[in-house]
Amino acid sequence: MNTVAPAKSMPVPLRLVEEELSRQMKALQGDDESPVHRAHMSNLVIFCDEPELAESVADDVPEIVASHPARVLLVIGEPETGSETEGVTASVIVRQMKQGRHERSLSEQVTLHASGSAVNKLAFSVRALLIGDLPINLWWAARQPPPLVGPLLYDLAENAQQIIYDSLGWLEPARAVSATSTWLQQFEQNLPGGRWRVASDLNWRRLKYWRRMIKQALAPGAVAAAMELLVEHGPHAVIQAWELVSWLTSQLGWKAQAGKIEQGLEIAWQFQAPDGPVRVRIRRLPEGPSEILLLRLQCNLAGVPSAVAIRAEDSRRLVAQQEGAGTAPNTLNFQPQPRAELVGRQLSDRERDPVFSASMAVAQELAKSLLD
Amino acid sequence: MTITNPIEVPKSLVPLPCQLVIFGGTGDLAWRKLLPAVYNLNVEGVLPAHFAVVAFGLPAEGPTQADPDEFMRGRARDGIDRFSRRDLDESHWNDFARSLFFVQGSFNDSRAYAQLKAKLDALDQQFGIPGSRVFYLAVPPQVVRPCVEHLREAGMIHDPSEQAAFTRVIVEKPIGRDLDSAREVIRIVGSAFAESQTYRIDHYLGKETVQNLLVLRFANSIFEPLWNEKHIDHVQITVAEEEGLAQYDPNTGAMLSTRAGYYEGVGALRDMVQNHMLQVLCVVAMEPPWSLAPEVVRDAKVGVLNCLRPLTRDDAEKNVVRGQYIEGEVHGQRVTGYRKEVRKSFEAMNRELPPGSVHSTTETFVALKLFVDNWRWAGVPFYLRTGKRLPKRVSEVAIQFKNVPQVLFNSHPDVPLEPTVLSVRVHPEEGLSMRIASKLPGPKIRIYPVKMEFNYSSSFGNKSPEAYERLILDVMAADATLFMRRDQVDAAWKFVMPILDRWEQVRARDLPEYQCGTWGPVEADRIIEPDGRSWRNL
Repeated sequence: MNTVAPAKSMPVPLRLVEEELSRQMKALQGDDESPVHRAHMSNLVIFCDEPELAESVADDVPEIVASHPARVLLVIGEPETGSETEGVTASVIVRQMKQGRHERSLSEQVTLHASGSAVNKLAFSVRALLIGDLPINLWWAARQPPPLVGPLLYDLAENAQQIIYDSLGWLEPARAVSATSTWLQQFEQNLPGGRWRVASDLNWRRLKYWRRMIKQALAPGAVAAAMELLVEHGPHAVIQAWELVSWLTSQLGWKAQAGKIEQGLEIAWQFQAPDGPVRVRIRRLPEGPSEILLLRLQCNLAGVPSAVAIRAEDSRRLVAQQEGAGTAPNTLNFQPQPRAELVGRQLSDRERDPVFSASMAVAQELAKSLLD
Repeated sequence: MTITNPIEVPKSLVPLPCQLVIFGGTGDLAWRKLLPAVYNLNVEGVLPAHFAVVAFGLPAEGPTQADPDEFMRGRARDGIDRFSRRDLDESHWNDFARSLFFVQGSFNDSRAYAQLKAKLDALDQQFGIPGSRVFYLAVPPQVVRPCVEHLREAGMIHDPSEQAAFTRVIVEKPIGRDLDSAREVIRIVGSAFAESQTYRIDHYLGKETVQNLLVLRFANSIFEPLWNEKHIDHVQITVAEEEGLAQYDPNTGAMLSTRAGYYEGVGALRDMVQNHMLQVLCVVAMEPPWSLAPEVVRDAKVGVLNCLRPLTRDDAEKNVVRGQYIEGEVHGQRVTGYRKEVRKSFEAMNRELPPGSVHSTTETFVALKLFVDNWRWAGVPFYLRTGKRLPKRVSEVAIQFKNVPQVLFNSHPDVPLEPTVLSVRVHPEEGLSMRIASKLPGPKIRIYPVKMEFNYSSSFGNKSPEAYERLILDVMAADATLFMRRDQVDAAWKFVMPILDRWEQVRARDLPEYQCGTWGPVEADRIIEPDGRSWRNL
C-alpha cells in the first residue's frame, strides 16, 4: 500500500475536528466512483515534547499507517517552553493510501499542540477524539523515559493497551534503565476490570536480528568456555547494547556481580557464569551509526584462546565468524528497519514478551550494580 | 358519525387529515424539534393533503403585538434554519408556512380555549379537515391538568370511537417526577382521553437505530440464537452528552439558552434513565413479539420492565453511582461546573435561584447495574451509564459476547483476546458495528480486533429522519407501537423509585465529582470493575 501525497494540514477549532475530517474525506472522494474506505485498526496517540521532533515523527506517519491504518493523534506538548499557548490548537489532515486500481483507503491525522500549563488540557482533547471500541496505542516519542515524566503519561495513556517507547539516545542510561525496569513491572500489572496493557521498546525490536544471529552463531562449547564478552556500539546506542547483554546473560544464566563505568566510554560488569567468571564490556565508539556494531565472545577452548565475532557489516547484514579458524563466515541478511516500520509492526504486536521482561529484570540488576 | 372514504382502504402508517395543535408552541421543544420535524415531513410529502399546524401558548417575553401567525412563522423559520436536518427551501417553506398558525393564550385561561376552538373550526373549513385533532402537550407535568380539563370543558375531545373526526393526545416526558406524580398525570389524562387516544412519547424510540434493533434481532437468523445468557456476557447502554445545562455561542461564549429551569432538581436518573434508557433496554431485552401489532409489541416491552430485579436499599447503594460535573475542559474550552452553571442560568432567566439549588445535589451523571430476571437473561448484568459534560456525544447499546475458551488463540491469560462486541450506535452516526477478532496478514498467527461497520448515511445516503418525524406521523396514523403504554411508565417508575428513595434518605451534601471532559466519577468503576469488566472506550 502506498501513500499518495497528502493535502495540507488544516488548522481547525477543536470542536470542528470531526467535521473537517469528514470534509477532507469527501473532497478526496471527488467524483470518482471507485470506493474509498476509511481504514483504521486502532487509535495511535503520539506524544512529542518538541516541535522539531514532532516534524520528524510526522514524516513517519504515512509509512506507519500504510502498515497499520490508525486514527493518528499527534500530540505536541511543551510544558517547559517559555511561551504559553492559550489552549490546545488543532490541525487536521486526511491522507489517501492507494490499495489498487479500484480501491483506495483514507487515513486521518489530527495534530494537537499546547505549551506551558495548557499541556494539561491535552488529555481532554485526546479523550474526545479517540474512536470508540478500537485499541488505543500510545507512542511515547519524547526523548525522556516514560517513568520520568510524571502524570502526563498516565493521562494520555488512559485506557491505552500499549505504550511504545524508544530508549535510543536516552541520557543517563543506568538511571533510565533502572527507572524503566521498575516502571515496566508496575505498568504491565493487569488493571481492574479485566483490562491489560503492555509496554514495548523499539530498541528491543531492533535487536531481533542480533538475537537471531547470536542463537545461531554461538556454539555451546564457546559459551561454556567464555572469558569475556564485548559489545561495541555507535553513539546513542548504549541502551540497545545494554538490552542485548541483558538478554544474552539472562538466557545463559549468568549472574551479575559488580559493574563500573570507565571513562564514560565503557561499562564493564563482572558476571558469574556456571563455568566461572566472565567479564562483560559495552564500549561506545566515537562515531558510526546508532546501533550495535560488534559482539565478540572470547573463550578458551581446550586451552586454546579463541573468539567468535558478530559484526554489522552494513545496515542489512550481520556476519558471524570464528576468529582464526579459517572457516567461512555465516551471514544473516535482513531489510533495514527504519523507525516507521518498527512502529508500524509494533502496533500490531500486542502480546507480552516474557523474554523482554526477563531481560529487563537483568538490565535492572546491571543498573543497580552501577548506581549502588 | 363515522364517514368512510369508499376508495381508500385504511392501512397502517397512512396519516389521516388532521390539525396538529402544539401546546407549548412557543417553547424550546417546538422551536428546536417539533416544527422542524413537521417541516421535514411536509418536504417529504408524507403529510395528509388536508393538514394544518396550530401552536398554542404564550411567548416567554409576553404576548406579541405582531400578527400572531406571522410571529409563529418567524419563530418556526428560525428553528428550521438552525435545527432542521434539511436546509430551508423557500418553496417548501412557503407551502409549510401557509398552514402554520398561532393562538396566543394562557393554558389556564378558558377564553383562550374558546379562541383556540374557534380557530380550529375555521381551519377545518379552510383546509377541508373533518374535525380531527392531535393535541401535542409539550408542557411541564404541572400544566397537564389545566390543559386537559380546559380541552374537555371546551368540548374539544371527541369520543374514542369517532374515526373520521378523531382526537388524540401526545404527552411529552417527563411524565411525573416520581411514581405517585406519574400516576397522577396518567390519571388526569385518562380522565379525558381513552388509552387508545393517548400517545406517551419517548423520542428515543423513534430513532432509526433503536427501531433497527428489532429488525436486527428478528430479521436476521444469526443473532437471536445467541441473544441470551448462554452467549452474552453483559450489555452496556450509554447515553453521553457533551453539553451541560446551557447552550453557548461558540464564538462569543454567550449563553443562548438553558435547560436549568427544567433540569435542576430533576437530574439524570429522571431525565434519562427512567424513560429513554429503560425503553431502549426493553427493545434490547424483549422476547420476540408474535406480531408487530402495537399492543403485542408493547406487551413484550412491558414484560422486560416487569422482570427487572427490584433494587433493594443495599442494591441502590452498591449498584448505583451518581455524580455531578465540576469545572473542566470540553473541546479546548474551559467550562464551568454544574452549580455555577445553574446559578448563571437562573440569572440569565431573571429568575431567583431556588434555595435548595445553591448547594445543588442534582446528579448530572448516573451509572447503574441491573438484572432482568427471566430465563433469557438470568445472571447477565446490564450496565447503564449517562451523563452530561462527558468527552463526546455518543449513545449506544453494546452487546458484549462471552469470551472464547482460553485455549488456541486465547491462551495468554494475561493478555486475553478482546471479546466480540455488537454495538448499535444511536449517536453520533446512526449505525452498528461488530468487533471481531481477525488474523493479521502475514506468516505468523497474530490476532487483532477489527470493526465491521454499517453506517446509515453511507449505506442509505440521506440522513435518517428525526425521531420526532416518525413519531408524529405514527400518531396521525394511529400506530402506538413506539409509544409508552401506561403500564410501561408505571413499571419504569417503580424500578427507579428505590434509588430516589435512597437518595432522599441519604440527603448527601455533596456528590462524587467529575471534571467536565472526563468519563464520569471514578466511583462509577466500582459498579463494574469488581465483576472483572470495564466501561467501554467510546
